[in-house]
Amino acid sequence: MPVVSPHPDQWTYWESCFTLTRRTPPPSPPSASMLLAAEPENPKCFAEGRKAFTCFWEEDEERAGPVEQYSFTYAYQNENGSRCPLTVAPAAGGKKLFVCHLDRIQMFVQLDIQVHRESVMIHNRSLLVELVFLLDPPENVTVSSTGHQGQLNVSWVPPPLKYMDDSMIYEVMYAKEGDPAGQVEVARACSELILRGLQAATRYRVEVRVRLDGITYSGYWSAWSDPVWMETLPADLDPLIVSLTFIITFILFLLCLIVLLSHHRFFIKKVWPTIPVPDSKFQGLFTVYGGDLQEWLRQTSGGLWVTSALLYSEERPSPVEVLSELNLCRSLASPPLPPKACNASTQRDERELSNGSDSAQTDEWRATQQQHWLMERLRETRPGMGSSLLESQDTYVTLSTNNHSEEDHVDDTLEEALPLEMHVASRKTPLSEFHSDLGSGQQSSGSGRLSSQSSFEYPSQGWTPKGPGYTYMAVADSGVSMDYSPMSRVDDLGKVALYANEYKNEIPPHRRPFLTRQYHVHDDG
Amino acid sequence: IQIYKVLFILLEWTCPGLPSPPRPICDLRVLNHFIQEARDAEVAMKSCRDGCGLTELVSVPQTTVNFDDWERKNATEQAQEVQTGLWLLHQALGLLQASMTDVDLNNHIDNSIRNLLSINAVLRSLNIQEYTPPTSAVGLEGTWKVSSVAEVLQVHVNFLRGKVRLLLVGAEACQQDVS
Repeated sequence: MPVVSPHPDQWTYWESCFTLTRRTPPPSPPSASMLLAAEPENPKCFAEGRKAFTCFWEEDEERAGPVEQYSFTYAYQNENGSRCPLTVAPAAGGKKLFVCHLDRIQMFVQLDIQVHRESVMIHNRSLLVELVFLLDPPENVTVSSTGHQGQLNVSWVPPPLKYMDDSMIYEVMYAKEGDPAGQVEVARACSELILRGLQAATRYRVEVRVRLDGITYSGYWSAWSDPVWMETLPADLDPLIVSLTFIITFILFLLCLIVLLSHHRFFIKKVWPTIPVPDSKFQGLFTVYGGDLQEWLRQTSGGLWVTSALLYSEERPSPVEVLSELNLCRSLASPPLPPKACNASTQRDERELSNGSDSAQTDEWRATQQQHWLMERLRETRPGMGSSLLESQDTYVTLSTNNHSEEDHVDDTLEEALPLEMHVASRKTPLSEFHSDLGSGQQSSGSGRLSSQSSFEYPSQGWTPKGPGYTYMAVADSGVSMDYSPMSRVDDLGKVALYANEYKNEIPPHRRPFLTRQYHVHDDG
Repeated sequence: IQIYKVLFILLEWTCPGLPSPPRPICDLRVLNHFIQEARDAEVAMKSCRDGCGLTELVSVPQTTVNFDDWERKNATEQAQEVQTGLWLLHQALGLLQASMTDVDLNNHIDNSIRNLLSINAVLRSLNIQEYTPPTSAVGLEGTWKVSSVAEVLQVHVNFLRGKVRLLLVGAEACQQDVS
């Protein structure tokens, strides 16, 4: 309602078009039947415009008489009455409609109506014409998108009634496709309306009807306009959701990057594994000899030469095999791979060893004999081998075993503890000197660390066997990474780091001039 | 637009020495408010039983409106007809005010009289030439004689809804605002 101040010059104004309410729409029958249902009084009267005015009533066809029996009279306030000519129209359900139509009407004055049938008044009514308007539905109803999500713009053309535009009120009914009910928006004194809060990507049905607002003019609701269909815009991505998704993705990317950078070596190994290159193990094999292994073997001092890289490999131990046993292996024609039958006999030697060292002199003589025999055998198989071995400055390891019987049981496993004597010679120490030192239990002249550049060599004929019963295999170990402690004490022989494996045969340190176990040579590679 | 209206009103207060023509009041909701209050008075009259009658006949303006006949009249005739009717209603309501003993109805009568004065102010804002009919209402065209308060109040409502409204809707000053 407008606010009226005491001073007429200070009145305020409102916007002319606004929505009122939202409710569920009522049912809407056709005009005549609608009036029959909406207006309880008879005759039913309505103004269609500024000039046309119609009144009618309904009677059963069986009970109704001819039209001449009826009279329709009307009179405006303070005026004389007039008679309206009646017409008859058929109606549904076996009914008759008696209709009075006036072309000249007056408003804002009371109209008194009377209907008589054969001088008997059957209907009587007083009304104001401006209050019984029944308008046509709005035309050219248009529904369009506003460009915003969940909105539709509805526009229409109001009924062409002068002086009444600002008194019209509209109901806009909209419903989703498939929904028989719907919602209603009310608009006053305007010809367009924006529907809000609609579902995205949904098809809607829109209808509009009109009536006068009831202040100056009034009347009945018009019929609904023809339905208009329109689909709303699809849903847009919420900017907040988009930004949060982007931030979370970025954070996950950073975390993955950090994990990759912190473990890049692991991933590089997995993705691009290092391909072993044999060049380091076989120097010159590919660069000089073009991959010809035989040629390479011929040119690189023959025999089982192994580069230091191979022997120095730390990845796995290489079992050192006894190439020969003096007693059992005498009949062997081929060198050096130890027959496994020799192993069993070493156990007896081990027992003999444990009996004491007072026979050290005898043993020494026996080892010397064995060594001599072994050297002769090696010369037979390797004619080219000379004394270069002993003259070599490389460090090598000689293995010797005690005298054993041929009758001993052959043990196939190399894991058996062998009563082996290990002689370690340094790079610059002749083997003979070393052996003599060892036989006396004296300190060696510097056994110790093995040279990384030494290679396997068979003991040459220059070796001096330590004593009877010993089979010496001088092995110039070129890749042993173990650190041999100086042979300063006999006790240390049993404690050489070479013995990575469990010492199976316990020998008292003072009686343990010989090493009695199998060992693994760990290559430095 | 509302801000400009407030500023204009404030400017008028701050500069009283410079009289300016009143702004045209074209919003029909103002008149609707007067019509509603007139209806309230008519409804209140129906519940009045005692002390709500006229002792003499009262002249009231005719409220009948035929759009064709109305449009055949010029603006001046329309304005004079409306102003005469407002004057007659003012006279009739004054007589009711003097004879009514019902307090509630008297309040409605008082309010209606104030509204008639406001309508005259609205007409002045529309640059409608002020017209005062002759003092004697006898023989004036377009008048009715009524004998009850109910009829007076009914005429009051119909006159405001009809001719007064048509005059405001068709006022030239308001037509310029719309264009």
